[in-house]
Amino acid sequence: MTEAAGYGAVVWSQFRRNRPAVFGLWCIGALALLAVYAPLLSLDQPLLWRGAEGLEFPLFRALFNRLLFENAVDVFFNLLLVLSPIYAVVYRAAWPRVGRLRVLGALALFHFAAFAALAPERIGPFANPLHGSARIVDFEAPGAEAADAPFAIFPLRPYSYRETDPARSVRPPSSEHWFGTDKEGRDVFARMLYGTRISLTIGVVAVAIYVTIGVVLGALAGYFGGWVDSAISRLIEVMICFPTFFLILTLAALVQERSIFHVMVIIGVTGWTGVARLIRAEFLKHKNLEYAQAARALGLRRRRIIFRHILPNAIAPVLVTATFGIASAILIESSLSFLGVGDITVPSWGAILNSGRLEGKLWLIVAPGAAIFFMVSAFNLVGEALRDALDPKLRV
Amino acid sequence: MRAYVIRRLLIMIPTFVGISLVLFLVLNLAPGRPGAAQQGTDLAADIRGERTQESYRIFREQFHLDKPVLFNTRFALDAGEVGDAVRTAAGVVPASAADRIRAQEQLENFGYYAVPHLVEVVREADAAGAQRVRDVAAYFLRLNARRPLVDPFDPDPSPALKARNRAIDLENARVRELRYSLEDPEERKREVVAAWTAWYEERRADWEYDRFDVLRILTLETRFAAYWRNLLRLDFGVSLVSREPVVTTLLHKVRYSLSLSVTSLLLAYLISIPLGIYSAVFKDTRSDRSLTVSLFMLYSLPSFFAATLLLYFFSSGSDYESLRVFPTGGWRSRDAMAMTSLQQIRDVAWHLALPVLCLTYGSLAALSRYMRTGLLDVIRSDYVRTARAKGLSEWRVIGKHAVRNGLLPILTLLGGLLPAILGGSVIIEYIFGIPGMGLWVVESIYQRDYNAIMAIQLFSTLLVLFGLLLTDLSYALVDPRIRYE
Repeated sequence: MTEAAGYGAVVWSQFRRNRPAVFGLWCIGALALLAVYAPLLSLDQPLLWRGAEGLEFPLFRALFNRLLFENAVDVFFNLLLVLSPIYAVVYRAAWPRVGRLRVLGALALFHFAAFAALAPERIGPFANPLHGSARIVDFEAPGAEAADAPFAIFPLRPYSYRETDPARSVRPPSSEHWFGTDKEGRDVFARMLYGTRISLTIGVVAVAIYVTIGVVLGALAGYFGGWVDSAISRLIEVMICFPTFFLILTLAALVQERSIFHVMVIIGVTGWTGVARLIRAEFLKHKNLEYAQAARALGLRRRRIIFRHILPNAIAPVLVTATFGIASAILIESSLSFLGVGDITVPSWGAILNSGRLEGKLWLIVAPGAAIFFMVSAFNLVGEALRDALDPKLRV
Repeated sequence: MRAYVIRRLLIMIPTFVGISLVLFLVLNLAPGRPGAAQQGTDLAADIRGERTQESYRIFREQFHLDKPVLFNTRFALDAGEVGDAVRTAAGVVPASAADRIRAQEQLENFGYYAVPHLVEVVREADAAGAQRVRDVAAYFLRLNARRPLVDPFDPDPSPALKARNRAIDLENARVRELRYSLEDPEERKREVVAAWTAWYEERRADWEYDRFDVLRILTLETRFAAYWRNLLRLDFGVSLVSREPVVTTLLHKVRYSLSLSVTSLLLAYLISIPLGIYSAVFKDTRSDRSLTVSLFMLYSLPSFFAATLLLYFFSSGSDYESLRVFPTGGWRSRDAMAMTSLQQIRDVAWHLALPVLCLTYGSLAALSRYMRTGLLDVIRSDYVRTARAKGLSEWRVIGKHAVRNGLLPILTLLGGLLPAILGGSVIIEYIFGIPGMGLWVVESIYQRDYNAIMAIQLFSTLLVLFGLLLTDLSYALVDPRIRYE
């Protein structure tokens, strides 16, 4: 290793030596791709359709049809699906000149802005053009092949995750339904696929919430000390003593209109103590180091010193907590759905598993269980490797 | 050391009160109402008859649900608010059926505080000839002017208490007489209204509050204060569903949960200590690595998935006849009472095998990892090198000298693990139908049994508090360098 290698590069080279962790990282990437491109893999709307009115692309219209995709999570991912080629081009064009993190950050900001602007049904006085038609056009899936059947290209599987059909209730896996169907006759493969979106979103958003809370409170406590520190430390001590899972369960069950966002917020506001303690300890260590003193001597504002000078040096251990936190948030959400207190409108893996338990059908148990296991282990592997890579004792 | 423990115990008190406040607020401010589940749906509650309405009123009074949650500002009720509620309840202003029910409930909840305003409404309506409003206000006046008995369930009341309650009873009887039915002639109704006025003038002092009264009502006449008054007498209340004292049920249920979690904890230690020693001794060999990886895989395996799979294959409901080894759930067989005690133990063990397995395997990874690092730290130390230099066999060096000190770090984990396992057993008890605390909390949440949920959460808070204290103390016990002054 050359002397000039930065901290990030050192950690990265340590991380890369850990083969299982790199594998885990690839798995997370693959799951994210599945989440983004789920509609191309399973949707009951054809990609290409040549009927009486000429050539059509119903799938892209369907992506923002509220009857097919009601949930904001789906809107977010569908928007990402549509815009991803543009993002790729921008990234390719900008990267060598601008820092990688900057490009990605700017793209993410842009995407959030686009999502916030396009998610509501009305934009100002105008109806949102992306919301598409308010009805689902029933296209004939391939299979019923008549001579005059219109030319159509469907996604890999022609099922949407909400399409129920009492006639095909609880069918075992077949060439038609790869993972079988559930009690309502919905295609389990489609539900599993779209469930990836739910799990990833839950993990990332819940952890983002509690990392934000934890970082702000921990930084304040560590930097200012005195009564601020003792007040925040008392708060942390009280929060630690909460019977967290019971609290989450109660909150989730008592919320009246259960939505996936409630679950995220609940996990977020109950989980921040670990991050706050870490950041507080780091700030105690860093606030009197030379670089912090230098920043103070330059007369910089406190906010700048805290967030631009000390925080980047103190944030590394939080990465480990956050990675493990994503895994545990995914587990908590699936436990809640398993207990039947989750959001019933979204295709949560935990809910599928519970339906499998109630129906006593193996295909409804194995697919979601294995998926949860797979995703949780991927995040745990990465977290474990990050911890080892960040641990200076192990560095050579 | 003793001073430290006492200080910690003292700090626990405000922490506990704070937590109970937050839990109480969460439960009581959540939408939906308790008791609605047992009375059918909310819609059914809306069209329920007079008698069930009366019983629901008594139910609310009994569980203090008629009181405000945290602050009672009813000493400052104003006539306009009460009048609006009366008019809505009477249906003389346009309002939905649900709004009318809500207004009625609100009037009932105002209780004694609303009496002067109700009298005023009655008088005004009478003067203005608004008969419907007057009749409704008089109805609620009669309800609200009644006063509850003091400590009605005291099994051994003192003479003073008896006398007080008798006086309240007499007063209530008098209030009860001040009534008229809608068919009565107008003169009779006017008579009753006049009697109400006279009654009110007589006891006007009841509603003149001085500063202390205001403070008392504001903070003490509330749901939270009522709850804590009972809590100080170690009374967790009565289940809103089964009407049994919550503590009795809790003590009953806790036995199942604790035996489940303690067994699994013991088992976890018994398995992970040898595993940790093994991987420390054979550090970085292939077997160490594969052990770590497989334990890590187990750690990532969701327990509810494992439990469901195990039940699918090995329970008596399994599709595979040769694999039907274990029961589908529960604590013991139905005919367990007829067995000898040895058979009973075997029966319980047979029922608990799968749940304990599911609860245990997840903690193996962390525990054995701690054991491994603990032992590795010790093995590098000087006294172990000395022991080796003395020519002791490797077995004696590790087994007698190193392991004892290497054990210390994982013993300190014990305090923190107990509450965690208790929380984790919610889902296991749910799947296997074990009638412990975890299953109970899920049931209580579904039924909005506030007292039960509070009791369970406060109990587990206590467990966490003592677990943390125990952890901190065990650091000092185990490592003499750590001292608490």
